[in-house]
This record gives sequence, structure tokens and C-alpha cells, in this order.
Amino acid sequence: MKKAGIIITAILFLLAIAGSIRTPYSHTAVSYDRLQGPSGSHLLGTDNFGRDILSRIMKGLGTTMTVALLTVATGALLGTLIGAVTGYYGGWVDRVLMRFNDAVTAFPTFLLALLIVSLVGPGSKYSVVIALSLVFIPGFARVMRTEYASLACRNFVISARLMGAGHLRIMFCYLLPNTMRVLLPALTIGFNNAVLAEAGLSFLGIGVSPPEASLGYMLSESQSLIVSAPWYVLSVGLTIILLVFGVGLIGEGSRADA
Amino acid sequence: MKKKVFSILIIALLLLVSCAKKDASQPSDEVRIGVAQDFDSLDPHHMTAAGTKEILFNVFEGLVKPTPEGEIVPAVASSVEKSEDGLTYTFTLRDGVRFHDGMDVSVNDVLYSFRRRMDGKDSAAKLASLSVIESIEANGNRIVIRLSRPSNEFLAAVMNVYIIPQNCTDIESYPVGTGPYMFKSRTFQHSLELVRFDEYWGKPGKTEKFVFRILESPDALVLALQSGAVDIVAHLSSDQTKQLDSDQFNILTGSMNLVQALYINNAEKPFDNVLVRKAMCHAVDRKAVIDLAFDGYGIILGTSMFPSFAKYYVDELTDYYEYNPQKAKDLLAQAGYPNGFSMTITVPSNYTPHVNAATVIAEMLREVGINASIQLVDWGTWLDQVYTKRNYQTTVTGVSSDNMTARKLLERFGTTTGNNFTNYSNKDYDRILAQALAEPDDAVQTQLYKALERNLTENAANVYIQDMADLVAVRKNVSGIVFYPLYVLDISTICREK
Amino acid sequence: MKIILRLLLTMLLVSFLTFAAFEAVSGDPVRTMLGTEATEEQAQALRSELGLDRPFIQRYFHWVSGVFTGNLGISYSYRQSVSLLLGSKALVSLALCMLSFAMIVLISIPLGLASYKYSGRILDVVRSIVNQVCMAVPPFFTGILFSWIFGIGLKLFIPGSSPGFVHLFFAALCIAIPRIAMTVRLLRSTVVSEMNKAYVRTAISRGNDRSAVLRKHVLKNSLVSVISFLGQTLAELVGATIVVEQVMGIPGLGRFLVSSILHRDYPVNQAIVLILSFWVVLSGVIADLVNSAIDPRIKLSGEGRQL
Repeated sequence: MKKAGIIITAILFLLAIAGSIRTPYSHTAVSYDRLQGPSGSHLLGTDNFGRDILSRIMKGLGTTMTVALLTVATGALLGTLIGAVTGYYGGWVDRVLMRFNDAVTAFPTFLLALLIVSLVGPGSKYSVVIALSLVFIPGFARVMRTEYASLACRNFVISARLMGAGHLRIMFCYLLPNTMRVLLPALTIGFNNAVLAEAGLSFLGIGVSPPEASLGYMLSESQSLIVSAPWYVLSVGLTIILLVFGVGLIGEGSRADA
Repeated sequence: MKKKVFSILIIALLLLVSCAKKDASQPSDEVRIGVAQDFDSLDPHHMTAAGTKEILFNVFEGLVKPTPEGEIVPAVASSVEKSEDGLTYTFTLRDGVRFHDGMDVSVNDVLYSFRRRMDGKDSAAKLASLSVIESIEANGNRIVIRLSRPSNEFLAAVMNVYIIPQNCTDIESYPVGTGPYMFKSRTFQHSLELVRFDEYWGKPGKTEKFVFRILESPDALVLALQSGAVDIVAHLSSDQTKQLDSDQFNILTGSMNLVQALYINNAEKPFDNVLVRKAMCHAVDRKAVIDLAFDGYGIILGTSMFPSFAKYYVDELTDYYEYNPQKAKDLLAQAGYPNGFSMTITVPSNYTPHVNAATVIAEMLREVGINASIQLVDWGTWLDQVYTKRNYQTTVTGVSSDNMTARKLLERFGTTTGNNFTNYSNKDYDRILAQALAEPDDAVQTQLYKALERNLTENAANVYIQDMADLVAVRKNVSGIVFYPLYVLDISTICREK
Repeated sequence: MKIILRLLLTMLLVSFLTFAAFEAVSGDPVRTMLGTEATEEQAQALRSELGLDRPFIQRYFHWVSGVFTGNLGISYSYRQSVSLLLGSKALVSLALCMLSFAMIVLISIPLGLASYKYSGRILDVVRSIVNQVCMAVPPFFTGILFSWIFGIGLKLFIPGSSPGFVHLFFAALCIAIPRIAMTVRLLRSTVVSEMNKAYVRTAISRGNDRSAVLRKHVLKNSLVSVISFLGQTLAELVGATIVVEQVMGIPGLGRFLVSSILHRDYPVNQAIVLILSFWVVLSGVIADLVNSAIDPRIKLSGEGRQL
């Protein structure tokens, strides 16, 4: 299973890399061949502007992967940090940080994204990354906090304390490896959620700016053509599913091995 | 135990929600219309959204009102007299005009309505075009208005002063007007219901009841049509109409009566150089924009005027700049940009037609070496940054005239005009504009307006694209849609065949 | 008491943050209200009428004191009292969220356990694929797909009409599907790793019934992280309804939230944010309580210790 995941992800990754170097057609070039079905010259057909869908998927894959990976990495890093500290120490540190956690969860994502966009400038994929990372912190923090809290009272921690290990050492050398059973699936789910969240923001009009492509943006564009150009929805939808599928399989496999 | 309480709670809630709004099966004397945005204020002197004005056109009337042919005819007034010098207008109140609450319309109601719009009192929005009024008074059943200077656009301004009762309380929640339809109920973000006003002075509406369903997503509108939840949706894109089952719907084509263009901030470098702007005009293939982003629907424009204002429309300006990328490159080189430059097009993300047009325009500009990138912003940001603060390079939007006057379209390009968001500044233009606004003679004024249009084209003020097509999907058994040269939907003629 | 304090604190914090965010976001509420026709003079007049010319802190305190006296203010774009506007929307959203959450809990936990119990090579592959596909489909897309299939094709509900039960059911399902898939996967993987632990192996090798061990010990231990995940999910549900409400034409809070942000309608947005923070805190508290009940060893944070 893990192998299949690695193969799928690798293929998509290569496709994205290839897309950043060269695509069969320019991913933004418009033409009069609008909404053509798949054919020899356009393997996945063309969209409503006559743009080559394959080329756009290759570019979009790159954008979406970058956004999702950066988001999950930042969110998981900060979330783990917060979760570790709050779960391990408890007390006022926990209370203060968890209130902020609640605040971020309650803060409307859409407003947050708008805010970041007006601070960073519109259209940049990094404003999406920053906004989504912030949104993703509480999720990781909460899961890790519970995990740390339940581990902190286990015997091996107490004996480690008795042997003179420092708090930081316990948190990150002893406990962190033990949280992997939760962290790894959380990472894959996080990756999945990041892809969905990016699509949601695109749907609301604050993702990447056209004519650039991201899978989420293409999906929200193509769903309006679901009847007149089903191949468009299908090819974009399948790519998203494959992407998340591949990463999910790797995550699942890693856990089984651990 | 807990589980039980929980599930009972859910069931109770659901029952509540589902019972509260039961859809009756479609009665024949009801037509449902899908609209893409919620209505804002229902106070006719305060509403701002074009979509609200479009529908409340059926609830409120002024002393005069527009016809589908673009003429202005008496409404709440039965006649209008204009004095020889053009400074005095006398409106005679029509007999037997009633408000929806059953009260007769009196001259005091008219005076109240005018004063409310002139002063902006009682939280009404001030109507700038009424500033020419020097005095307004009642004389029997007549209203006499004196102007400080002659104005050919005065009746158009009167058209937008909707008459409301002077003693109305809470017009926001219970709007009362004199139109063929009256307000019945409203559910925010969900629906608005209008019913026929049986004591209407004019031709009565053909259908008893209209329900406007608010569905903000373009897909939701298509689905609602296809499912039978609504019968009519206007302002669709051709992509949307293609999703519909053609056996069930007629697609009517009108025009939106607006000037869609790549509007340029003329004060910003390098766009302050006329050669650059001309190059951009030559670089954009307007026909291709319409073909690629609008499926071929739309009328190519060459200046800030559209054909439905036939009186003012100058057809020969349309092809002033032919599509010629080589010429565009030459002009850019001449302007000192042989390798082109980078620019941004700021577009409001909720207006898909403008986003789509920008997408194609950006590609064409790239062909001649101008590296155009698109910035999507939300409507609030667009209004603030682009329209008010003029902090932008270029934008794609549509400019319309809500009172059927050329002035509304052309005055905004005067150097000192408040809403000149393109920062267009041209001495000749300002001179002719001042002349035109002061000109009492209609024929001479029309010529001056045409000169203004020519000036805009010759100086390549903006890259004019098109007057967008208004595609309306109508269920096959519903008829009676009439297009106006205004952004209104007249429901009084719409009916379902039995 | 502690919980009320926690609630109050979060609400204050979030409302302050959103208030501040509106200061930083470009866009002027007055301009948005007046549209393109307004003059600067008009804008100024309206600004002072609404008190928007006063300093930020002053306005925030004015708003907070209003909330304490039960006055949520007047919506800028509708000119109606906010409580009147939001009442019915909150009910719709609550129904949607509860329905969706009920689906998530009632489907994912049995399914997660079943997916552990019944494993086999082919079954695993099929399960993985179905699970992944469910996880990967954005709710707005499912919304459209369901509207076409169940609404227009099978005529189970009428897309675009006033939403009834079936309509809400499918909307809730769209929101629930990816989350069900996630919960199933999380539950399964925690069960698997728990089963590999020494105490379980010992218990089984001593001849205890496998499924009894699963029920008595493993499930309890695995549920802890699943429940905090569910708590977080519950907290996020209101936000997740936004796009589905838009696509399926359901008049709930999510749509109102987006439109209030787009129109810079602060009073409406602030009120919705209050509701959201209430919801978030509540789901956090519930998750903590349930966890402490299942496993008393976890004494989470201050609140937990006091209880």
C-alpha cells in the first residue's frame, strides 16, 4: 500500500516539476478551441477559454502542492509546539494558549484570508499559505495537547524525570516519538484539509488570481461546466483525489510500520 | 438518556425549520425569479445596490417614469409642462393615484419626497442631480419646480425621486409606494415577495404574485432553474445558459446597457502617456474578448456610450483602433517602452464577466510585451482602493447610466468630477463638458456630447470593450419580458400561460 | 463558573480580533453602503452618523457595552437590528450543524471499528480508495453533484426552493462526508497502534477474547484522540457550512458571515463571530468533559482539575 502511495505521489510530483519547467501549451494561452473534449492535440481537452487543461493541471498541481505542503508544515510545527507546551505543563500556560486557540478557531477563515491579502497583497499564493497555516494551528495544537497530556502522566515520563531529564528533553526526545501515532495521520489529514481549504477559498474568490492555476480554482471553475464539459471536472477532480490518495497511503503505511 | 434528549432536540429543530417554510406547489398565478444578490435597503431613497433598484422599480414610481423605448412619460403626475425659458416645470398630480396602504397621494407627499432626497434628511441619500432645484412648492394639485439654470436632464432626475407617503414610519421594513406591485414580505438572504396592487392607477400587472429567490452562487441559480424552483433568471453567462435544458427554457438576449472597458488610471505612469494607451487599444482584439470570454454575445464599443442611447451614439468611433499587435509594439517603442512593461489589472472577484474579460485581455497585452497580471480583490476593497482612492493601474468594470442620460456616462471624465476614477484629464474635454452641461438646446447639447465621446476615443482614455449581453433564461410557459435601456426588470407584463 | 469565564474571555478576545481585523482590511463600510454614486460629503455625513469617525478603541468599547445591554447594533447594509436578522439564520445553521455532526458521530465510529475488524487484502484496498475519495472531495463540489443527482435527477428535493428536511439532509451530508472519512481513518489507525501495545498483546495472549479487549480497553484509549478531533470538528462545522449554504441556497449563518464581511457590515459580522466563539468554546468544553469521563487519568488544564 505504501509503495503504491509513493508511486502515485512521485508521478504527480514529477508532473508538477515538469510543469514548472515546460508544459505542452502555455497554461494561460487562450484560443478559439473552446471546450473541446480530449483529443490527440489536447490530451485532457480544453477549458472555457480554450486553454489546454493538461498544461493547467500541471501548473495547478505545483501551486496546490506548494500551498498544501507549506500550510501543513507551518501549521503542524507551530501546532505541535503549542500542543506540547500546553499539554505537558497544563496550568496557566495551557489556559492562555488554549484561549488563543479557541479564538483562532472562531475567527472566520474568510476574514482572516481577506486580512492577510490586504496585508501581503492580493493574488500571491503565499497569502493563502499564511492564512491557512494560521487556521491549521489550532487543529494540530488540540490533538497534540490531548496526546501530550495523556502521555505526561505515564510511568516512563516520571522515571525520566527522576533520572534528571529536563522538561524540553522529555517533551521532544521522549514524548514526541510517542505522539507519532497521532501526528502522522493528523499530517495526512492536514494535507487533505489544506487542499480542500484552498479549493474553498478559491470558490469564494480569494485564492490564486487568474490566469494562474490551482487545482481548487480549476475545480470551482469547472463545476459550473459540469453538464457542458464533464471531462474538465473529471480530470481536475481525479487529480485532486489522486494527490490526496497518494499522500494518504504513504501516511497510512508509515503508521503501520511505526 | 443523553442520546435521547439529543435526538429529540434535533428532530424538533428540523421539524421547526422544515415546517416554517413549506414550499407550496407552484400556483399558476405566481412567477418565481432567481436573483444573484440580496436586496439592500428597501427605502427607495436609500437603496444602493443595482439589483435592488432593478426590482423595486415595480414598487415605486416618480412623478414621471421611463418606457421600454427610453422615453420619459408622466406617472404619478398626469402632465408635465416646461416653461419657455426651461426654468420652470409644472407637474399636475394625477387623480386617483393611491399608495399601497390605501391612502391617496397628495401634493404634500410629493413635496416630502422631493425634500427628503434634496436634503438627505431622515437618513435618505442625497440626490446630487436635484441640486439645480431653486424652489419647489405646491399650487393646488400642482407642483411647481423652479431651476437655477436650464437642464435637459432634469426630468431624468425627477424619474428617480420615488414618491412615498410623508407620514410613513419604518419604510425600511414596510416599503409603501404607488407602483403596480406592492411589498408583501421579505426574508433576509432568502426571498422577497411582491403582490399585485389592485388599485394601481395604470395598467394592472398580469400576475398576482412574484417571489424573488436569492441564490448567490451561479451554480445554485442554474440548479434552481433546472429544478423548477424559479422560472426566470436574468444576467446569466452563456456558460450558465448552456447548462440548461433547452427544451424547457427560452434564452432571451438583451443588452446590459453598460460600458465594459479596461479602465485606465490616466494619472499613473506609464499610462499618462497617450501613446501607451493607444498601443493598448491596438493590442486588444475586442472581438476575440467577446468570442472567448462571452461566447460571442456582446456589442463591441469604442467609447463611453452604447447603442441603446441611439441619440448620442457615434458608430464610427467603434472601429477607431483596429486590432493590430505590430502597430501596438511600434507605438510602445515610440513611447519609450520597446520591451514593454509590467502592469496589474485589479478586478472585483464577485463579477465573473469582468474577471473573464480581464483574463483574455491580459493574454493579448502579453502578446505585445505588456506583462499584465490580474489581481482579484473583493468588492469592498475594489470600491475603496480603485473607485474611491484611485490607487490602481487598470481595472475591468462596467459603467452604466441609471437615469438614461448621456451626462451620467460622460461627466465622470471631467478633470474635477468627483467620480472620475480614471483620473482622465484633458483641457479640451473639460471645456466641451462645461459647455455641454450649460447648453439649454437639446440638439446642440447632443452634438457636444458626441464631441466628448470623440475626445475620449481619440485620446485613448480607456480600452473600450463592449456593451455586455443580458442573457435571460425564461421557462417556456412564461412570457412577457420587456427590455429597458435601464437596469430594471418590469414584472407587470410577465405572466404564465395557462 | 470557570466555563463562563472561559467563554467570556474567548468572546472578548475574538470580537476584539475581528474588530481589529476590520480596521486593517482595506475597504470602507460607508463607501460600500453608498455605492459608486456617493460624494465625499455624503460619505463624511454618514460616517459621523454611524460614529465611524471615532477612534477604534472607543468604538469597540461602545460595541461591547452595547452587547452587555443586549443591543447588538443595527446592520449597515440592511438598516435592521442585528438580532432580528440573525435569529432565524442561527436556527437553520444550528440544525445543519447538529445534523451533520450526528452523521459524523453515528456513522464514523461504528464504521471505524468495523473497518478495523474486517480487514483483508482486497477489502483494505477498496476501503482505502473509498475513504480517500470521500476525503478528497470538497463540500462545494459534492453540493453541486448531489443537487444534480438527488435534486434534479431523482427529484428528492428541489434545489433552489426553500430548504426542507431532505434538502438540509443532503447539505449536511456534503459537509459530513470528508469528516466521516477522516474520523474513520483516525479511529482505525489509533486502534491499530493501540492493539499493538504490550498490554493488549499480553491480555490477548492470556486468552482474553480479542473483541472483548477491544471493547473494554482499546476503544477507551483510542477514543481520546478521536474525541478531541471530533471536538475540533464540531467547532469548525459552522465555518464549513459557508460554501455548502451558498451552493445549495440555504439561508444560514455561513452565507450571512461571508456577505457581512464583503459588505463590511461590522455589526452583523461581530454578532456572528460572537455566536461562533460561543460554539467553539462549547465544543471544546464538551470534548474535554467527555474525555475526562472516559479516561479520568487525563486531567486536562485548569478547568479539568477543578471539576
